[in-house]
Amino acid sequence: MGKCRVSNNSEPLKIMWNGVWGSNPALVQLLGLCPLLAVTSTVVNALGLGMATLCVLVGSNAAVSLIRNWVQPAIRLPAFVMIIASLVTSVELLMQAYTYDLYLVLGIFIPLIVTNCAILGRAEAYASKNPFFMSILDGFMMGVGFLLVLLVLGAVRELIGQGTLFTDMHLLFGEEAKSWRWEVVPDYPPFLFAILPPGAFVVMGLLIALKNVIDSSLKAKQASNAAPSGSKRVRVTGPVT
Amino acid sequence: MKSSPYSRDGMKTPTVMRWVLAALLPGYLTQIYFFGWGYGVSMLLLLLTAVLVEAGVLAIRKRPVLETLKDSSALVTAALLAIALPPFLPWWMYVMAGSVAVLFGKQLYGGLGFNPFNPAMIAYALLLVSYPVAMSTSWALPLGLAEPADILTASRIIFLGDPLVQLDALSGATPLDTYKSLAGVELSDGIWQKPIFGEHVALGWEWVAMAFGVGGGLLLLKRIITWHIPVCVILGLSVMAMLFGWDPDRSVPIHLHWLGGSLIVGAFFIATDPVSAPTTTLGKCWFGIGIGVLVYVIRAWGNYPDAVAFAVLLMNFTAPLLDQITQPKTFGHQKPNRTLIKVQVK
Amino acid sequence: MTQRHIELHQFPGGICPPTQKALSTSRPIAYPPLAKQLILPIQQHTGMPGRVLVKVGEQVKKGQMLVDAQLPMSVAVHASTSGIITAIDEHWVPHPSGMKDMCIFLEPDGLDESVEYQGYENYLETNPTKLLECIRASGISGLGGAGFPTDIKLKASKIETLIINGAECEPYISADDMLMRERSEDILQGILILLKLTKADVCLVGIEDDKPQAIFAMKQALEKDKDDDTHRVNIVEVPTRYPSGGEKQLIKILTGKEVPSGKLPASIGVLCQNVGTAYAVHQAVALGRPLVSRITTLAGGALSTPMNLEVPLGTPIGHLLEYTGLHQEQLEQLIIGGPLMGFPVKTTSIPITKISNCILATKQGELSTPEQARPCIRCGYCTDVCPAQLLPQQLYWFSTAQEWQKAESHNLFDCIECGACAYVCPSEIPLVQYYRFAKGEIRQDRAATEKSDRARERFEFRNQRIEREKVARAARRQARANTDTKVLSEKPHAKPMDKQPLRSAGAIGDVESESIQSLLVDEAALEAINKKIRMMEDRVGKARERYEMALSDGLDTASALKRALDKQETKLTTLLSERERMMSHSDPAEGKET
Ligand code: SF4
Ligand code: SF4
Repeated sequence: MGKCRVSNNSEPLKIMWNGVWGSNPALVQLLGLCPLLAVTSTVVNALGLGMATLCVLVGSNAAVSLIRNWVQPAIRLPAFVMIIASLVTSVELLMQAYTYDLYLVLGIFIPLIVTNCAILGRAEAYASKNPFFMSILDGFMMGVGFLLVLLVLGAVRELIGQGTLFTDMHLLFGEEAKSWRWEVVPDYPPFLFAILPPGAFVVMGLLIALKNVIDSSLKAKQASNAAPSGSKRVRVTGPVT
Repeated sequence: MKSSPYSRDGMKTPTVMRWVLAALLPGYLTQIYFFGWGYGVSMLLLLLTAVLVEAGVLAIRKRPVLETLKDSSALVTAALLAIALPPFLPWWMYVMAGSVAVLFGKQLYGGLGFNPFNPAMIAYALLLVSYPVAMSTSWALPLGLAEPADILTASRIIFLGDPLVQLDALSGATPLDTYKSLAGVELSDGIWQKPIFGEHVALGWEWVAMAFGVGGGLLLLKRIITWHIPVCVILGLSVMAMLFGWDPDRSVPIHLHWLGGSLIVGAFFIATDPVSAPTTTLGKCWFGIGIGVLVYVIRAWGNYPDAVAFAVLLMNFTAPLLDQITQPKTFGHQKPNRTLIKVQVK
Repeated sequence: MTQRHIELHQFPGGICPPTQKALSTSRPIAYPPLAKQLILPIQQHTGMPGRVLVKVGEQVKKGQMLVDAQLPMSVAVHASTSGIITAIDEHWVPHPSGMKDMCIFLEPDGLDESVEYQGYENYLETNPTKLLECIRASGISGLGGAGFPTDIKLKASKIETLIINGAECEPYISADDMLMRERSEDILQGILILLKLTKADVCLVGIEDDKPQAIFAMKQALEKDKDDDTHRVNIVEVPTRYPSGGEKQLIKILTGKEVPSGKLPASIGVLCQNVGTAYAVHQAVALGRPLVSRITTLAGGALSTPMNLEVPLGTPIGHLLEYTGLHQEQLEQLIIGGPLMGFPVKTTSIPITKISNCILATKQGELSTPEQARPCIRCGYCTDVCPAQLLPQQLYWFSTAQEWQKAESHNLFDCIECGACAYVCPSEIPLVQYYRFAKGEIRQDRAATEKSDRARERFEFRNQRIEREKVARAARRQARANTDTKVLSEKPHAKPMDKQPLRSAGAIGDVESESIQSLLVDEAALEAINKKIRMMEDRVGKARERYEMALSDGLDTASALKRALDKQETKLTTLLSERERMMSHSDPAEGKET
């Protein structure tokens, strides 16, 4: 990202931090929960949807940033949605072409990326106000943040649910990836709960709790150093007191 | 300085919990008598897990460990689980159930008094959802159909999953399940001939249910619970059974509903868990009726062998609402205040 | 006997704690020796304090009026014995918050010399207005607990049922019981006076059935004095169940009617008086004796001779404890009132007042002292016993979460603080404490909004006035200008001066508007500072309350709160002095008005 020529050097860093941690779309903003909870039963599903979302996010941020000065504010939302929808359609077609099996598994959740508030949210909140490269960076980091959460969720659920990791990776990486399957616990009796949607809710809740714990301990540590505060976004989750 | 009142009644929360435990005894002992020591081993495992997990969580949460353990609520949860779960599950399922009940069912919400759901039933539902096969086939056959497992056999099955033990000879489906799967296939006379139903209603099960009823009577006598919830549960289920299940050839008859499953223990001990039930009298009635109706619905048209856990959990959701809309008429008021609270936006 | 059959009703909830009354009823009412010093709070009732009539150093006689009852809602106070007024100062008074109030300190001279009492011999024939006047002048306020001025209560119209409360449901307390046993005839006469004054059709005397001797004595008194009036009096045994002695509960038991929430019993044609009050009324009307003493129960395991005493008002409780043989080493708690609704004693120099029915000195282990409160398990036992049919556990929840609105909508203010809920709570939560706190907070909020509303109103009103004045002035100016021009136009020779007067008129206007401006600035500043002062006063009040609460609860945050309070107070004084300064600059009349 060295190419970004911006006056404020800390800006890219801040974007990275916010995307992955500070205002992570899934953990902090709680956006895009529907696909997040529905398809994260295995790592491969999570990875597939995460990648797709990432691509769309980067593309939509880039496009929105480019047109930001030419779109009337009154019609900006429809314009954004159009952009996102076309991008999603492209991604869907690409997946249909190259990872057909995964496409079948993910099903409706790929077109549903259009409605992922994280994407529209970034377009509106960031890309429509910021220059091209910064917007791309923001889209990328937000996408990475989303993808990471999906991956962790997928891994945890796969591990608890069926005692394996990286099953069915061939859906995404071709036949040789079949051998990537790693049976962490041999003879594991499948724990259906983790695979079913309620399990996703519980694991997600635990992840958020974990993040809050880390955040508060970080804060306690850095209280004296007056570290830069993470995000300016309104936190919708937080410790319940 | 303390303020009035300076005088208290005798019954304290720990005492209440211990009375509940005592009231479980008759039913529990009958269970062991008819179904063997599987229940003994599972009880031990569950009690141990629950206490350890509770102590651990309390320590992490920096709460007084011993003081809080003394309230015995973890024991009650564990005991209810042990009674409700099948006796021949692998040991880790009991450990899991105990931990989930205490950790996810109770402590994560803030401990005793703050859990919106019945902790024992949360764990039960979790197992039922995750391991449907084990949960429907690990029931012990009653005395008369099989020799009840002694401690050794039970431990072998539970801890080792021992292939030497003829598990199939000891375990099977519940009478409710059996009847349900046969109803419509055979006529009721034929079904009743099956040995699992014994001479009366359901061999062994009937006595267990009645013993739990006796325990429930004890709780009523001690005024630890009021009659509203148990009576309404049974009422709700009976009305449904009379409306929809009057034909014994097609559906489970009413007395088998009463005595063939966990209805009685559910009505007296599980649904009456005060924390997750409504507190108004009228609210309790609706709560009970709701559970009764749901039990029938799930038993008759659902896929799960027994339904008390889901019914209780579902009705737990409604408890705050029921409390709100069933407020009693305050002394000196014309009519009760039953509107939902209007949130004033400032 | 022509006892009418009275159908009894039941109030909801209630508890049956051990009554513990036998010990204090085994001895007759005794008369303790005079204390060395009597402390008479100026206000011993609900309402307004009266005017003090005596000065320090003055010699007074027993029964002499010390505080008058000229103001509405005030009640007279009389000297309980003869002696010298040594001081008029603040002292601890029996009040749940443990507050201090103005008291008259009386040093008895030991002669117990009284003024001449003048009663109405033929009181049942006397003009009611005169009787009411007499009751008022005798300083009688409800002796049951609330201390409402009796004469005011008696003025209520359209009373059908007079209820005499002899239920005395709280454990340990037996003052009314003993009074009924020993002085039933006087009480009956008092009842007849009350009947006459209220013009009620019937009188129901409710006595709990655990006081058979009192019931017997009352019935006998009734038997002895049979006539038309006494026909209307009925002695009714009510089941022993706390809180049957609560006014609303007793009314429900005896009449089946519920006093509407927030209303007085008079609104349903019922008037309730305590037996002690009836007795005091008789003493005042028939014998002319003002209320200078009352029966107080001294009870509890730490006393060697628990009993009932006729105590001159103002006697410090320490004196009575000494008289009844307090074992200091066994003492655990000292409570004024009963174990369910009483409050802790701050110091033993607290005096007995008109509402002190019991002093409880318990020994260790006599009353269960709750340890740590456990979490509420929503068992609903509290709901079952609440006589007000509230949901105590919900109220508790809302109080801890400070959700005042919800607490109010769950009728928090119908809670009579009887303590039944806390009595049965298995988790030993001090529920009533939470309710008191919540009520206090809500009241304060209400007062604050009311105050700010009033301030706003005043401000708007003043703005309007200024606006009006401005308009009026402008109109006047206009009129003057018009006449000026007219005058000018009539004087054509003054043409070069044409504009002069006009300009001067304008100048006058300018000066005027300027002065208005400055006045406005001044007033605005004054208003601003007044607002600040009001806010500060509020804050100081709140801080003080918090501090006192912390102090009385023995919290260690007290010292910090004290510091905060001091800070607020200094701020307030600065503000006050600033206002002083400003007012001296501006028109004093204007300043006074704001
Ligand atoms: S009695 Fe105590 S524990 Fe039970 S519901 Fe009421 S407040 Fe809660
Ligand atoms: S103190 Fe209030 S809430 Fe508690 S029982 Fe009495 S009236 Fe009900």
